[in-house]
Amino acid sequence: MARAFLREQGLYVGLLEPNERIVLQGLMQQTRLLLAPEIEPTGDAFDDLVASMGLSLSAADGRPAEPNGLEAESGSSSFADRDPALDRLLPTAHRGDDQIAAEFRRLTEESLRQRKSGNLDVALQCVERAVGDRVVLDESQAPAFLMALTDVRLLLGERMGMRTEEDAEALHAAMEDIDDDDPLGYAMAWYDFLTWLQETLTQALMGTDLRDVVTAYDDDDREDLPGDDPGTDTV
Amino acid sequence: MTAATLSLAPVEQEVTSTDEVVAPDVPWVTIVWNDPVNLMTYVTWVFETYFGYARAKAEKLMMDVHVKGRAVVSNGPRESMERDAEALQGYGLWATFEKDS
Repeated sequence: MARAFLREQGLYVGLLEPNERIVLQGLMQQTRLLLAPEIEPTGDAFDDLVASMGLSLSAADGRPAEPNGLEAESGSSSFADRDPALDRLLPTAHRGDDQIAAEFRRLTEESLRQRKSGNLDVALQCVERAVGDRVVLDESQAPAFLMALTDVRLLLGERMGMRTEEDAEALHAAMEDIDDDDPLGYAMAWYDFLTWLQETLTQALMGTDLRDVVTAYDDDDREDLPGDDPGTDTV
Repeated sequence: MTAATLSLAPVEQEVTSTDEVVAPDVPWVTIVWNDPVNLMTYVTWVFETYFGYARAKAEKLMMDVHVKGRAVVSNGPRESMERDAEALQGYGLWATFEKDS
């Protein structure tokens, strides 16, 4: 049984059982793989900074430079074969002007990938270092862990087809009579578990009491979620 | 947390100068859109943490996202809005920027 993240003497401590940690690590690794930056952080702050300024530039490298780099990715084909989950993790930043959106992406994608990958690395280490089921986060690790959980849930949600509120409701409704061995039910149960876990860490960071949120997450809950609302609300 | 990244990039300055010569004083906005994954508490925490907004303001903006489907969370020059959008995407929020209309 998992226990909520709670604040303990300046640290944030949650209890996760071995199987919970294994699944969480697996999901974080998958998310990390998807987000892997073109240039992995080198450990050299200056090199990383240069890379993050977009000088690596990826897809464009093989082609002659375009004036201002503006035309390079204005065509709609450049990102046509992107994994849709990437569009959820690194969404279009301008709706209505593809050129501005492409330019923004060109300037920011590498650094966003680096930052998100970095958060996942921190979170993976924290789970890895758990002692006696205790996952312990300090003040700087906790936000990284929170962002990593967000990206994992975004990926999981996208893979389950959860793109709108209606999708989310339909998915939860479908859990009522889903077969025990349906992988979707399994994925949904873990998604809900991670939602609960993130909710507890967020509230711990905000210094609020766990209002309406259970502090213990029973394995049974994971098999019988439709009736159990762990007390989380999405925007 | 990302303030230095974009402002240091010379490429961006070029683009800005070719693109925005017409109305440099027209403010831009950063918008956060509703999505089914992000938690209400988490979105509030992001607004508090990144913008330094007080709890009440952060919660109101979060509720706007939740109820109206989107909220303008900051406004200013284009470069600042790009920086905000990038930072908020780093947090996993669905953030965009556009010229205020």
